[in-house]
Amino acid sequence: MTGREPTPVQMERLHQRSRRFTRPGFLIQLALLACLIAGPLVMPSFRVMDLVAKIMIFAVAVASFDIILGYTGIISFAHGMFFGLGAYSVALICHYSQPVQYHHLLLAGVLAALISTVVAVVISALSLRVKAIFFAMVTLAVAEFCHILGYQWSSLTKGEDGVSFKLPGVFSADWSGGALWGTQINGRLLVYYLILVVCALLFVGLVRFVRSPVGRVLKAIRDNEQRATALGYRVFRYRVLSTVFGSLVSSLCGALFAMWLSYVNPDTVLGTPLMLNILLMVIIGGLGTVYGGILGAAFIKIAETWLPDLQKLALSLFPKMELMHRLAERWILLFGILYILSVLFFPKGVVGTLRDQAEARRLRRLGRP
Amino acid sequence: MDLSVAAIPLMETKDLSVRFGGHTAVDRVSLVVEPFTLKSIIGPNGAGKTTLFNLISGQYRPSGGGIFFKGQDITALDPPGRTALGIGRSFQLTNIFPSLTVLENVRLALQSRENIGLNFWRHYGSLTHLEDQAYHFLELVLMAPRWAVPASTLTHGEQRKLEIAILLALEPELLLLDEPTAGMSLEEVPAILELIRQIKATGRRTILLVEHKFDMIMALSDSIAVLKEGRLICDDTPRAVAANPVVQEAYLGGGVKNA
Amino acid sequence: MDLAPDAGQAGRRWAARLAAVSIWLLPLLAIDPTTYLVLTVAGLAMGMLLFLTAAGLTVIFGLMDVLNLAHGAFFAWGAYAGFAVLNALNGLGWVETGTLGQGILSVLLALLAALAIGGVLGLFLERVIIQRVYGDHLKQILITMGASMVLAEVIKVLWSPNNQTVLVPLSFTGSYDIMDVVINKFRVVAIVVGLAVYAGVMAVMQKTKLGIIIRAGVENREVVQTLGYNINRIFTGVFMAGAALAAVGGSMWGIFREQITPAMGDENLIFALIVVIIGGMGSVTGSFLGACMVGLAFNYVAYLVPKLALGANILIMVVILFIKPWGLMGREQ
Repeated sequence: MTGREPTPVQMERLHQRSRRFTRPGFLIQLALLACLIAGPLVMPSFRVMDLVAKIMIFAVAVASFDIILGYTGIISFAHGMFFGLGAYSVALICHYSQPVQYHHLLLAGVLAALISTVVAVVISALSLRVKAIFFAMVTLAVAEFCHILGYQWSSLTKGEDGVSFKLPGVFSADWSGGALWGTQINGRLLVYYLILVVCALLFVGLVRFVRSPVGRVLKAIRDNEQRATALGYRVFRYRVLSTVFGSLVSSLCGALFAMWLSYVNPDTVLGTPLMLNILLMVIIGGLGTVYGGILGAAFIKIAETWLPDLQKLALSLFPKMELMHRLAERWILLFGILYILSVLFFPKGVVGTLRDQAEARRLRRLGRP
Repeated sequence: MDLSVAAIPLMETKDLSVRFGGHTAVDRVSLVVEPFTLKSIIGPNGAGKTTLFNLISGQYRPSGGGIFFKGQDITALDPPGRTALGIGRSFQLTNIFPSLTVLENVRLALQSRENIGLNFWRHYGSLTHLEDQAYHFLELVLMAPRWAVPASTLTHGEQRKLEIAILLALEPELLLLDEPTAGMSLEEVPAILELIRQIKATGRRTILLVEHKFDMIMALSDSIAVLKEGRLICDDTPRAVAANPVVQEAYLGGGVKNA
Repeated sequence: MDLAPDAGQAGRRWAARLAAVSIWLLPLLAIDPTTYLVLTVAGLAMGMLLFLTAAGLTVIFGLMDVLNLAHGAFFAWGAYAGFAVLNALNGLGWVETGTLGQGILSVLLALLAALAIGGVLGLFLERVIIQRVYGDHLKQILITMGASMVLAEVIKVLWSPNNQTVLVPLSFTGSYDIMDVVINKFRVVAIVVGLAVYAGVMAVMQKTKLGIIIRAGVENREVVQTLGYNINRIFTGVFMAGAALAAVGGSMWGIFREQITPAMGDENLIFALIVVIIGGMGSVTGSFLGACMVGLAFNYVAYLVPKLALGANILIMVVILFIKPWGLMGREQ
């Protein structure tokens, strides 16, 4: 490029590079990470820590779902199932190995990854070959099958009662290691940090995935499949790759979730409500944004935490009305209505809407409408 | 130019047919495309021009016959495989990535050529040479000033130009252009024709063009093939085709009424 | 691409059909003939009720290109509507203590109520929600999933989240005993209704002008539009009819099982989806065959290895997807 004026493309690239570390998005992420690290030490409340840990896990699970739904344009109803496969991997290995040791956790993680990869490859190779809509139907059926299996294969999964287990060594609930600046260092706190580290790594991995050549091709396929094929991209391979990757991350999130609760049962990690929660979170956060997962997960998990209080309030306001009582009990109904309205009237979600505004600013800066 | 004596044609179809249900859309078409020439395929609507294109680019599977590219049998190859060999096509309805930027549209074509699509550990920010090359192709089609906008905001004529830039970025030996001026306003047509003329003038590409406006491609083409009801009824120089009584009856006579 | 069948192909096709039929005789190796017959009748009855849901699902998909995941909710609503009607009529003494005529009448009224509620819900859903998302598969799936969830929750609000017992007229309970083969009376009713609905749907599709339009629409939607028919009205009508059929299926299911739960819609949807995938999207006959297969397989396997009943159906689906990715009667697109 010697002897030539830099092209507008090169100038824009230099501009973006120069503010790489001063972008608001980057600073917000840094601040968020600092809060997550310092939080439990500064404000030792179990309720808050519990909420934050769950938000982290779900943020990554939702972001990985967004890779499949938002970036690839495929609906997988098996995302909850993969979450459950990961959760049960940890739960069963820790439950049945006595005494439980660190390498069991590692084994569980590897097993979760392996199982979910194999299952995802089989499902997607079978149904994505035909038509993306088949994938929705097949995953719905397979996920329901796994849910029922969780109940019925009780010799292994203990059925409805679920599996409770102990974590090894310093992660165990009864381990205690003194105090640091007045905060009790115990197993729960260490599990929290383990979740933080793994979630942060997974999230970076997801962001890198969408910013890799594959991510760009996925966007192209979602935009215009025929054109992508004519450019020489074998669409089927990309769909399988993205589905398998997203499902794999979901299973690891499930593994973390099981570690946090030290307990799993079919309804919490395999059932339809979990899948609906993930759907709701991804819609609210914004499809095709990855970061939307954080907002969506935070919004729903916080709402869930405060809903019981709201419910009591509603009941005290209408002490006599039977129907009001029943409505208050069924907050999933509210979530469902919110979800439908979001799909209809707020399809881009919070982050998607913000991004559109940023995009409009960028175009104005580049001087052309 | 004395290129017509080249030993093997760039692309050749032999008795190519496709049937849909009971209807034969393309019927034993044998077509030869010599390197570095521009051949047009014309015929009334429903003559099977686009279907023939879909067979050559691999969108449809033929019911009979074969397709050869530089002497190699590609009848069983899928569309991405044919693109990799050097066959690039445009579509009758404009076919771009509407929500991506103009630059990104072209960059994806370059990325496909470099065969790094399935790479998920590299950051696209490190692929700066692709962006610079993409910009270069936009300059070629006079679209450089619009590089940053989403492709959906372009006018129809601009989208067509972008599509040609995408095609050129694939560096195909054979360009398949399906009615490149379809749906365009009259003012936009000359710019596209000029672009095609320039591509041809470089002498590095072979072009196969579908069109149903006869006068438009008379001056542009080295040879013209005429399709009617799925059959190839004539394949000759533009002048000879225009003088051919069968063509006049089958196409020009019927075509005028339809046009 | 399907080529014109020649003699050899026709022969092979018949051989394949023979093989397909004989697979269903395989369970005889492990089940004694009497039980086999009982299970076969039960399987066919279940298949017919599944068909009622799957028929609407498949036609709606073929014609309107809409995958309606709220279809199971119509099934559940039909069951609850029937349940409510039977409860009300029992207050008049028609159901548990009524005469044969009153019994038949109350069942008919229950089915009618289901038909009505299905139609109304279908109308509402199509007009208010689905019409906004035509042509967008992703939104359709997302939004019908949400609608399904909301409809199930409303059932829990109006009735109860728990199981309910359906009151069934005496004349419909009990069973026939034909040479030791015990056949539940209502299963016979289910099979008769299912066959009648299949015959009716086929007659409408083959013989009436509406049917011709619908079939043309399944083949090519644009053709119907260019012919000048009000495609929106046809869509709404087909959607309502599909919803009503599912609701009737649900109410029959409730009477048959004598028990209903809010989750029955989801369970039914899973089965109906398997049926539609097996049969081929858009094909009524495919759904009929698929429903019979699923019903039979479920009952045979449930008798032999109860835990694998749903798994067996998923296995069938996977095998079919392997052999014919577009389903038994589905056409490649």
